[in-house]
Amino acid sequence: MALVKLKEFCIPESPGQVSACAAKYGDNALILGGGSFIHGLEARGLLSEVEALIDIRKLGLAGMAATGEGVRIGAMTTFAELEKLPELASAAWLGALKDALTYPPMQIKNVATVGGCIAASCPFFDIPTAFLALDAKLTVSGAGAKREIGLAELFAGLFENSLEPGELITEVRLAKPAGRAASAFIKLEGTANDLAIVNAAVRISVDAAGVCQEVRIALGGGVGDSVVRSASAEKLLLGQKLSADLIQHAAEAVGQDISPMEDHRATAAYRLAMAKVITRRALNQALSRLN
Amino acid sequence: MLMTNLNVVGKRVLRQDAYEKVVGGKGFPVNFSLPGMLHGKMLRSPYPHARILRIDTSRAEQLPGVKAVMTPKDVPQIPFNPIFFMPAGSMGIHRDMLILSDTVRFAGQPVAAVAATTVAIAEQALQLIDVEYEELLAVFDPEEAMKEGAPEIHVGVKNNIRDTPSFSAGDVEAGFKDADYIFEGTYETQRVHTCYMEPRVCVSDTDSNGHITIYSSIGHLFGLRERMAYVLGLPVSKVTAVQAPYVGGSFGSKIDFAYIEALSALLSAKTRKPVRFEHTRYEDFICNARHPMKVHLKTGIKKDGTFTARYASTLCDTSAYSTHGPEVILVHAYFGLMLGYRSPHMKWEGTVVFTNNMPGGAFRGYGAPQAAFAVESQIDEICDKLGFDPIEFRLKNTPRQGDPHPFNPEWKLNSYALDECLNKGAERMGWSQRAKTGSASGAKKRGIGMAAHPLWVSGCVGFPDIYEHSGAIIRLNVDGTAYLSSATMDIGSGQNTTLCQIAAEELGLAFDSVRMAPGNTDNLPFDAPTHASRVTYSSGNAVKVAAADAKKNLLEVAATVMEANVADLEVRDGMITVKGSPAQAMSVADVVKRAESPFMVIGAQGPAPTTLKEKGTIMGISSVAPPANASPAVAEFVEVEVDTETGQVKVLRAVYAHDLGRVVNPAAAEGQVEGGLQQGIGFALMEKMLFDPETGACLTSDFLDYKMPTAVEMPSKIECIFIESNEPTGPFGAKSLAEACLIVPAPAIANAIYNAIGVRIRSLPITPEKILAALGKL
Ligand SMILES: Cc1cc2nc3c(=O)[nH]c(=O)nc-3n(C[C@H](O)[C@H](O)[C@H](O)COP(=O)(O)OP(=O)(O)OC[C@H]3O[C@@H](n4cnc5c(N)ncnc54)[C@H](O)[C@@H]3O)c2cc1C
Repeated sequence: MALVKLKEFCIPESPGQVSACAAKYGDNALILGGGSFIHGLEARGLLSEVEALIDIRKLGLAGMAATGEGVRIGAMTTFAELEKLPELASAAWLGALKDALTYPPMQIKNVATVGGCIAASCPFFDIPTAFLALDAKLTVSGAGAKREIGLAELFAGLFENSLEPGELITEVRLAKPAGRAASAFIKLEGTANDLAIVNAAVRISVDAAGVCQEVRIALGGGVGDSVVRSASAEKLLLGQKLSADLIQHAAEAVGQDISPMEDHRATAAYRLAMAKVITRRALNQALSRLN
Repeated sequence: MLMTNLNVVGKRVLRQDAYEKVVGGKGFPVNFSLPGMLHGKMLRSPYPHARILRIDTSRAEQLPGVKAVMTPKDVPQIPFNPIFFMPAGSMGIHRDMLILSDTVRFAGQPVAAVAATTVAIAEQALQLIDVEYEELLAVFDPEEAMKEGAPEIHVGVKNNIRDTPSFSAGDVEAGFKDADYIFEGTYETQRVHTCYMEPRVCVSDTDSNGHITIYSSIGHLFGLRERMAYVLGLPVSKVTAVQAPYVGGSFGSKIDFAYIEALSALLSAKTRKPVRFEHTRYEDFICNARHPMKVHLKTGIKKDGTFTARYASTLCDTSAYSTHGPEVILVHAYFGLMLGYRSPHMKWEGTVVFTNNMPGGAFRGYGAPQAAFAVESQIDEICDKLGFDPIEFRLKNTPRQGDPHPFNPEWKLNSYALDECLNKGAERMGWSQRAKTGSASGAKKRGIGMAAHPLWVSGCVGFPDIYEHSGAIIRLNVDGTAYLSSATMDIGSGQNTTLCQIAAEELGLAFDSVRMAPGNTDNLPFDAPTHASRVTYSSGNAVKVAAADAKKNLLEVAATVMEANVADLEVRDGMITVKGSPAQAMSVADVVKRAESPFMVIGAQGPAPTTLKEKGTIMGISSVAPPANASPAVAEFVEVEVDTETGQVKVLRAVYAHDLGRVVNPAAAEGQVEGGLQQGIGFALMEKMLFDPETGACLTSDFLDYKMPTAVEMPSKIECIFIESNEPTGPFGAKSLAEACLIVPAPAIANAIYNAIGVRIRSLPITPEKILAALGKL
């Protein structure tokens, strides 16, 4: 079967033990979060070189907290737990995360972790798109050292992250934006069990006059090797008073920043057209939450 | 008249195996194992068309744990056709497959097999087998395959045309001349898989006399025995196929022999150990699938809405081997395309073509879903264009109750309530309030559509060379219960429960007093496969006959013991009473006890003799075919919502009306309809197996690649209207349900989409991209 070279299943209880196991196996050690992505890799025979699995359940990385500043989410928090965060129900600025969490199938929600979903660097997942629009910051810890990075810095390419062997994501932080802000997320899917054909998340802040103070537009699902932001669309909106026409115009502009692919889910042309449609819908959805 | 005083039939009983299945299903063949069992794996060709020049297995054989390796030279080269429902030597089928062959005709065809102590070792061994292939040109498109100069897939089959069946009635050209309008269109369907849950699995064991015993997830016990014996060159008595209590789905797929059954037997004979094979999901995908078809349909019509002529042609990709191609296209033509609607002039021409694609197989509906998509879509086009009401229009052109059966005029449509299906379904859906085509506003538009299937089967009586007899054995126990044994395979639709209900009703026992007792081909009477729409009607009939036989024997013993007249006795809920004097009663248990007791019984009052007449196990037995092939009739109405910006379609509601003669178990019947709709929505909107256009390799390996509707895509409202027309030839009036509920959804959905957005899509699946393209938005 797929894990033909597996020699060790490590269950570290301290960061030091993670480093020890990682040092022993180097690139052939794989961190195990909820295992839902790893399971798929294994079933497809893509883990034939892996020698050690490092199960990080005993590191105490699950949990979440909300403060006036924002939200902190431990890397091992599952989607199902995260859904229970009370702020999701009330805070308009977290709308994108709330929306994104409605899509994964229940079985996945019960096991998939926040750390795993971003470390996978898979452009077809939903929560990372929402996190990018929400300007997520990550705490990464390795042998002794801790560092803070932005989510975009984590993505090194298709299924590749920028972590060093033995480095872990320990926490995701979402800072509450200033002013009147709201966010929204939409996924276009073939079936409820499937990954995104395309998805889009937006976060927008406006002043009292309805002028856009800040906007972040993120797209995922086969529109690039990683989840991407649309600078072109953002530029059109920033500093402007938002109207239906302007939103439509900005949504059209996302085409300039994405490179849609063709696969069994959809053609590139369809993805391109849909990226525009759902960006517009997500913008409108966010705006409706401002009021 | 419908019998109304039934105790068990018609009741929403709980399946006997429900709980057991939910907690893992001990009885599923995939959970079966034998001590010391080896594990088999197949090496598959990466090429779609090739000749094997050389196979070197020496490295594989040296791997520790490998017990045997097989290549084409090690297996009997007896050509076979995998279809179970026809005799192995039937003149009506083409035998062109081998267990392992030197010629590869589709990517993924097995070329060698290994048995090893573990699955991992077997898989590793495959990588150590060196095969030298001579690649041959391949062709995947049936139209290309027919062209001059296309690669020859089977020696001597010119232009790869396997068969060109046809039929005609009247003078179709004259009919088109009589027509006021002519409609014409081409309708295409794709390759889809049944997606049964339990993989194909088998364990073969061979004894020292060379007798083979096989445990398998197959849908036909006797077919398995027959094919095993045939391909191995053995008499059938040398093979025993053991019945699993239930199988995790078939939907038609498992009424075929795969490669694993014969390979496991050969490897078992060689190693003297039991050998198990289990397909991966990928192997299941490439085992067999519904035949893609291209139907050209032309209809002549009079101003009054009657047909003057119907012409159709069908191109069927039968794939690398004949398998079902020549058979499925006939059922498709007669029961799918032509006979459901009356027309004085008809003609149909079929072409069955070889390609280097994976094998075609049976799939619930057997050629009719492809046909109904064409016929029911075109009727909708006609009605839309000429302003006919689709329901009245259909009633004008379909058979009536009491008409001779269009396939075999010796039978009559004794029970036949298509009119009720159409009218009641329409009323429930609110058909009369249906909006005009394309009149909805907004980005998301709703539409209502319907489709009917006027003629279908309840079995296969009347078809040439197709098995259609069933048998059953009923034995009564001293505790007043009964065992029912039947070779029918319960493939998940609840056949066992249905058959127990029929037996209980006939015997006068409570439902839970009858238990299905599995057997094997050594001790069960023959039964045709679990396929077509036959089990309730045909196997059910045999069960009822066996139960009646047992009841007759029971009452005869009771009459002796009770000193009553047999004709005066009746049995109900486990009690035998003299009609009119209920005080004279005896329980079934007591009667059976007397029959099973010794000649002299010592009781509280001392020894008392029993009579010879009472002695012996009370049982009943049957082996019969039903006298006819009763037709169900169905109509389905659906409401959809089309997002005209994304092209996505959501089925919001479905109303399904079906004349099934009699509902035996309403819960199971609803389950059939829901499952049929689920497969129908998949066929209509999303399912499609994908292949590499260069190599023909199947790119669909699991359910991340293969899109089928989940619970979320299902309409929250599925309403069943079961019409009980009481079929006189069926057990307690029952006829069939199983397949029609998958035949109608695709055209009903296509018609609803048309109603919503005014765009007609004539090829399945109706993907968002096709919709946007048709709307001019992509
Ligand atoms: C059937 C199915 C449906 C799905 N549907 C959706 C959907 O609708 N929407 C959606 O967003 N997603 C969906 N997913 C994807 C799902 O979200 C991911 O599989 C999941 O988030 C991965 O998290 P995990 O904890 O299971 O990661 P794992 O499988 O354990 O790991 C994933 C990767 O991250 C690494 N890793 C894990 N944790 C850490 C850490 N803390 N630090 C560093 N590296 C780490 C692992 O080594 C591995 O490379 C679906 C998945 C499946 C199988």
